[in-house]
Amino acid sequence: MVLSATTDGGQRSIRRNGSFGYVVPALLLIAFFFIIPVLMLLMRSVLEPTPGLQNYQELLGSTTYLRVFLNTFTVAGLVTVVAVVIGFPVAWLLAIMPDKWSRLVMAIIVLSMWTNLLARTYAWMVLLQRTGVVNKMLISLGIIDKPLALVNNLVGVTIGMTYIMLPFVILPLIGILKSIDPAILRAAALCGANKRQCFTRVLLPLSLPGIASGALMVFVMSLGYYVTPALLGGTSNMMLAELVAQFVQSLVNWGMGGAAALVLLLVTMVLYAIQLKFLNPNRVR
Amino acid sequence: MLLDFDKLGGLKPFLIGLTVLVCLFLILPIVFIAALSFGSSQWLIFPPPSWTFKWYQMLFSDPRWLWSALTSLKIAAIVTVLSVILGFLAALGLNRGTFAGREALRALFLTPMILPVVVLAVALYALFLQLGLAGTTVGFIIAHLLIALPFSIISIGNALEGFDKSIEDAAILCGASPWEARLRVTVPAVSHGIFAAAIFSFLASWDEVVLAIFMASPTLQTLPVKIWATLRQDLTPVIAAASTILIAFTILLMVAAALFRKGRKA
Amino acid sequence: MTQPFLSIRGIRKTYGQVTAVKNVSLDVAQGEFMTFLGPSGSGKSTTLYILAGFQDPTDGDILLNGQSLLSTPSHKRNIGMVFQRYTLFPHLTVGENVAFPLRIRRVGQAEIAERVKKALKLVRLEGFEDRKPALMSGGQQQRVALARALVYNPPVLLMDEPLSALDKKLREEIQFEIRRIHQETGVTILYVTHDQEEALRLSDRIAVFSQGEIDQIGTGPELYANPATHFVAGFIGDSNFINAEILSSADGKAKLSLPGGTVIDGVPMHAGKAGGKSASLLLRPERLSLSSTQVGNGLAVTINDITFLGNNIEVSTLTGSGESLSVRLPFGHEAISSISRGDQAWLSFEPKSTHAFA
Ligand SMILES: Nc1ncnc2c1ncn2[C@@H]1O[C@H](COP(=O)(O)OP(=O)(O)O)[C@@H](O)[C@H]1O
Ligand SMILES: [Mg+2]
Repeated sequence: MVLSATTDGGQRSIRRNGSFGYVVPALLLIAFFFIIPVLMLLMRSVLEPTPGLQNYQELLGSTTYLRVFLNTFTVAGLVTVVAVVIGFPVAWLLAIMPDKWSRLVMAIIVLSMWTNLLARTYAWMVLLQRTGVVNKMLISLGIIDKPLALVNNLVGVTIGMTYIMLPFVILPLIGILKSIDPAILRAAALCGANKRQCFTRVLLPLSLPGIASGALMVFVMSLGYYVTPALLGGTSNMMLAELVAQFVQSLVNWGMGGAAALVLLLVTMVLYAIQLKFLNPNRVR
Repeated sequence: MLLDFDKLGGLKPFLIGLTVLVCLFLILPIVFIAALSFGSSQWLIFPPPSWTFKWYQMLFSDPRWLWSALTSLKIAAIVTVLSVILGFLAALGLNRGTFAGREALRALFLTPMILPVVVLAVALYALFLQLGLAGTTVGFIIAHLLIALPFSIISIGNALEGFDKSIEDAAILCGASPWEARLRVTVPAVSHGIFAAAIFSFLASWDEVVLAIFMASPTLQTLPVKIWATLRQDLTPVIAAASTILIAFTILLMVAAALFRKGRKA
Repeated sequence: MTQPFLSIRGIRKTYGQVTAVKNVSLDVAQGEFMTFLGPSGSGKSTTLYILAGFQDPTDGDILLNGQSLLSTPSHKRNIGMVFQRYTLFPHLTVGENVAFPLRIRRVGQAEIAERVKKALKLVRLEGFEDRKPALMSGGQQQRVALARALVYNPPVLLMDEPLSALDKKLREEIQFEIRRIHQETGVTILYVTHDQEEALRLSDRIAVFSQGEIDQIGTGPELYANPATHFVAGFIGDSNFINAEILSSADGKAKLSLPGGTVIDGVPMHAGKAGGKSASLLLRPERLSLSSTQVGNGLAVTINDITFLGNNIEVSTLTGSGESLSVRLPFGHEAISSISRGDQAWLSFEPKSTHAFA
């Protein structure tokens, strides 16, 4: 360290403890307002109303709550599958099409992503209502003759959430697909592989880590989503995040609220750890 | 040759067709809301029977809408400043630091971003009830700062990655004090990261709903809380008007970001 | 006349305003090693890509055994190719990579194993079956790519600067291997390079590309001894050019006047596009002799620099009119001892051994 000799003493002492001082303000914020409150909430889940695991027993034992878990996983799974199946071809085209066109499509994707969440959800509430444009269009096309119930149920939630999650699938996949050398696909073709074989044996396996990672991210985000299910889903088809909020807001049952929050937290963290460990597309293989 | 645009063959119309459909799916709701905000139908009939500005008049004549927008603006502005400062310091520490556990610390700082917001909201709400911070501006700011900070740390961290520290050292050798060097050399060099951090932090707070619902009180509401509360009652076209203004605001921001990027390249 | 094995006929390729290939025609015999040599951007890769079916030509045709290939898609052309970049499938092992074309062709399991083994032996990578490509060096990866391209016995193998990413020593090693493999398998090879040494070392014949056209096709010695254009003369071997005035020309021989007044006769003359009275005269450095005393019909020069290059010595000189000419002399040549920088000297040469390009 030639340099520290030329600078003042304070600088040198910072160098010696490795610049830890810089992270202290952020660390204090996180400790006091993130770690401590989350731990306190978890404490309450095992202490209220009486110490013990009864909150968890009730949560995992009753059919009412199991129904909520089922809803949550079904919607998150459906949203993930639909978003990946639709998003992959779009990302594929965007990765290889001429720039001037892809820029337009990108602008549309980014605009939809940056538009206020409530504005987007409101749009779907209006579009999907009984007298809404979607029902009217389906009727005038002769596909149905009575309006379908598209909101206040899981259909509405799935449509609204797919809308929100699509950009989160498409944008990272573009990067993944762009990083695959087109010459590898040319080599596969010369080896005799037709388009379908090139796709199933080369392109798909090469993009699979990226697809899996994006899918898991969307799945995790969907599991904990609150706003869209609450507005498009109606009260009878609750998802896990709504359950947490309901315990705290309307029922003022902190024990159950904490327990439900912990379950959500655990599932999220486990899936996130899996993503980091096994599916990170940036990891050297 | 699946990755050669000119040689896609029969796949090309399929991919283009699907992409056009997805674009329509993504853009039509936004266009639709903008159109309805000028439509005369209270019941949001589409296409509207006639055109009107009355929803905008109702929006602007109700002081609660304006007041909630101002509250949002105030909170978002303070959160942006704090997030950039704390984010810059934290990113600097994580980037330059030699202390142990830096990777774990980085992961910890980013957790509020991946954690379901509702968990954070409920936990903070409980704490704030005890501290008397529930329903206060300070509570709001702390809550939003938690989710804005990861964006700052990422944006500024990326910019610092691409900045050669020896330039700062050179400034110190020229006689600047360490902090002088940082302010005059490093901060300008990573200004694009700081700019991105500011935009993302602002948006994170300005658009945030879930924490806001828990932090709000009848006298302290941000714009999303006001929209949320109205939405739960009925689908009034006033919300379409408010949404349209927000969308216009988003487009302005995108254009500004694009111009900024272009300016940096030129 | 027998039908050529592979025939490229009047290929042209344009991308919007850009003409990548202007007009390329050439016949390749079975088992021949043909190299496309030319500077970057001269249309070599584009020609190869049209052969492979990655691009469709704007004009022209390609015939293999008299049959047009153009309507056959890449995956049915049964052509092998090694690319400039590394194109092994990163998710497959070396063995699976080489087996890939055979699996596509539904070859039986036992035969696949045997042929993969044989192909890897051919490129001297036996025992590497279970490696992932990412764990291999660039040279090894290109050798696996070669095995993958040969395992299905294609009649034609295309190679697009396969060694350009490797360092010089490794490049020479693999050049030697490619030459051996060509001899062992008898496959017809079309090889692209911008490196004249590589072209000369490997090829039976060389097609010299310049700006989307072939300037000349011939064996290495032919191109060196009898270049058809100024470009070929400059691209193959070392060369000096000086300006000369055409006094008269007939039967492909010309009488020229050099700067300083020297007149030479009987110079092989290659009519170029320009025509006119002035010509460019090619003087190979190793065909010039240097003398410190005046010789008849010699070119008066000043010694500018003397460089020792191991087995020979390069003397750079300046003519009276300021053109620089380099002379290559064998080490120990008697002229060296008697000259030093700034001295006056005389260059002489056989007019027959030079070439003039109008
Ligand atoms: N896809 C393309 N679009 C536009 N121009 C191209 C394309 N491919 C090649 N070219 C142009 O065609 C010319 C010949 O390119 P190429 O065949 O790759 O040359 P070489 O392989 O001899 O270096 C170059 O000027 C190149 O810029
Ligand atoms: Mg090339």
